[in-house]
Amino acid sequence: MLSETSHINPDDLLLEVKDLKKHFPIRRGTIRRASGVVKAVDGVNLYVKKGETLGLVGESGCGKTTAGRTIIRLLDPTGGIIRFNDPKQGWVNLESMDRKQLAAVRPHMQIIFQDPFSSLDPRMTVERIIAEPLVINRVASGSELHDRVTELMKVVGMRPEFRSRYPHAFSGGQRQRIGIARALALNPKLVICDEPVSALDVSIQAQVLNLLEDLQKDLDLTYIFVAHDLSVVEHISDRVAVMYVGKLVEVANVEALYYSPKHPYTEALMAAVPKPNPRMRDRPIKLPGEVASPANPPSGCYFHPRCRYAKDICSTQVPLLEEIEPEHFVACHFARELKLRGVVA
Amino acid sequence: MNQPSGSVTESAVSIFPGEDIILKVRDLHTYFFTDIGIARALNGVNFDIPRGKVMGMVGESGCGKSVTALSIMRMVTRPGKIVKGEILLYRQDRNNKSVIEEINLTALEPMSHRMRELRGAEMSMIFQEPMTSLNPSYTIGDQIMEAIILHQNVDKAEAEKRAVEILDAVGMANPKLVVKRYPHELSGGMRQRAMISLALSCTPSILFADEPTTALDVTTEAQILDLMRELQARINMTIIFITHNLGVVAQMCDYVTVMYLGRVVEQAGVEDIFFNPKHPYTSSLLRSIPHVGSRKKERLKPIRGVVPDPYSKINGCPYHPRCDQAMPGVCDVQVPGLTVVGPSHTVRCFLYSDAVEASNAQ
Repeated sequence: MLSETSHINPDDLLLEVKDLKKHFPIRRGTIRRASGVVKAVDGVNLYVKKGETLGLVGESGCGKTTAGRTIIRLLDPTGGIIRFNDPKQGWVNLESMDRKQLAAVRPHMQIIFQDPFSSLDPRMTVERIIAEPLVINRVASGSELHDRVTELMKVVGMRPEFRSRYPHAFSGGQRQRIGIARALALNPKLVICDEPVSALDVSIQAQVLNLLEDLQKDLDLTYIFVAHDLSVVEHISDRVAVMYVGKLVEVANVEALYYSPKHPYTEALMAAVPKPNPRMRDRPIKLPGEVASPANPPSGCYFHPRCRYAKDICSTQVPLLEEIEPEHFVACHFARELKLRGVVA
Repeated sequence: MNQPSGSVTESAVSIFPGEDIILKVRDLHTYFFTDIGIARALNGVNFDIPRGKVMGMVGESGCGKSVTALSIMRMVTRPGKIVKGEILLYRQDRNNKSVIEEINLTALEPMSHRMRELRGAEMSMIFQEPMTSLNPSYTIGDQIMEAIILHQNVDKAEAEKRAVEILDAVGMANPKLVVKRYPHELSGGMRQRAMISLALSCTPSILFADEPTTALDVTTEAQILDLMRELQARINMTIIFITHNLGVVAQMCDYVTVMYLGRVVEQAGVEDIFFNPKHPYTSSLLRSIPHVGSRKKERLKPIRGVVPDPYSKINGCPYHPRCDQAMPGVCDVQVPGLTVVGPSHTVRCFLYSDAVEASNAQ
């Protein structure tokens, strides 16, 4: 396991994922026969430390959202191991749990969705939305429930007087706060933030990011932050994992990953971010072609057709995610030799 | 070429010394008359656009960036209406580069023959979501050919040839195949390239790009920005680039217009906006957005409060309720006028206005 190679104390970890796979069948024709398979997540290995924010980045269609959802069993994995350090039961394996067992673990794992317009039921009041997890899990009722909703609304910076309003009466930023309050209702340990600010206006983004940071400190939360905006991810993450066509290509501390990347794909991503400095206009490294299809990935390293450093071995052998510096994992045959450029700003 | 600092009147000569002006917007008011009241989307917008340059337009959602572009294109539809103001387009002869005509766009009917001639041929627009702005039931080729046939006197075969050429010019792989494809068959980046081809098919002199890369991945974004820069240099196109991505502004724009609540609050060269912003709103906006490469883990400083809804009417400077430097008795009473604070740098804020002392003394 990754944590073994890295000599990390298992007690400091909250989650460990090994060789996680999620494949979707492609069905064609009138009898919906499976004619192929989309390997959305294809052998992901990672760990998450208690109290940290792990950013998960990659281009659209790389499988980052599917990975996040499979980790908390919103989707059933095709293969692999998901171990979660449950505060009550200790280390448990999520991949083999049935519904009943999952129900006991789920309160500790929550998710905040991207679109605050479609993730809230328009026919439920704010109070019912936030109270629902508490009611389902029989955590609180009556005046206790009322007080808990009041408290949660205050925690996310909303006025409790608005409890009987419906989602349509709120702006995008306020709705995202409702979604956050709902995710926090059961005092979770792990929160998957799936593009939580990408649907919000710039100034509202800052408010929600600050809120997420405050909550993490106050409530001792651990985040997996799925996003495609690299500046947001740099701002909020302690460590970052880069995904390409269902596989992780690099995992490292945010500083190492942004300023001394070891994988050519990370280098290309970092070079593509437009620099917020008009005195530094440079031409980005051109990534030829399109993202490989997860239904029909290329041989060897999935990135090799677009990689400017590719050699013969890259088209035949799949590189493994290896730790080449303490806590810096890279899946590239030439990770130790290449001198790559990070963000210059 | 230096101009004296200080307050000037709205109809003053161009604030861009040495630039040829292609578009002048004067005191533009666009309102939306809805069932719940009048939304004052534009409240007296004034600016000039220099020819052959890239002008960035920034501001929070609802500040009027898109409505400004739509007003100029005369594409504001009911219940919206331009209620006041002037939009002047200075059309140039394509061959000898001299201005041949001043066209008052506000005097034209939106659906008039003249306006339809100008739209597409002189002015064009790229939208944020290519999927919703391309017609799903026509092929990419049909849609580009429609524009070419409408504006240029050519037959179908010639139009198809040109459509293939322009798709090739925007870096589309296999343009001959792509003309036969429907929008849903293309990826996001390819759709945006198709959209750009459509907008550029008649080589317009002004291109409005309304957040053209916001929905794209960084790698595709980099390709599209590169392409736009190249095309802009090749055909000396004027681009009005609406975005809230400061990286895109820094990389693409020559000048920047900052809008707030239907007004222009600051206009300057791109370096002045980043390194010497004057309006408190511009500085707050810059501070509130995470920058890549910021290294230091600084807490973001969101702008206080929210953009007021456009139905409300605010006295004085529209930004004063959220401004940390607001001066009671001044900012909440009068609307600040235009102040020239440097070469090609204007701001509408009482912090820089001589008029404040004058009115206080009275």
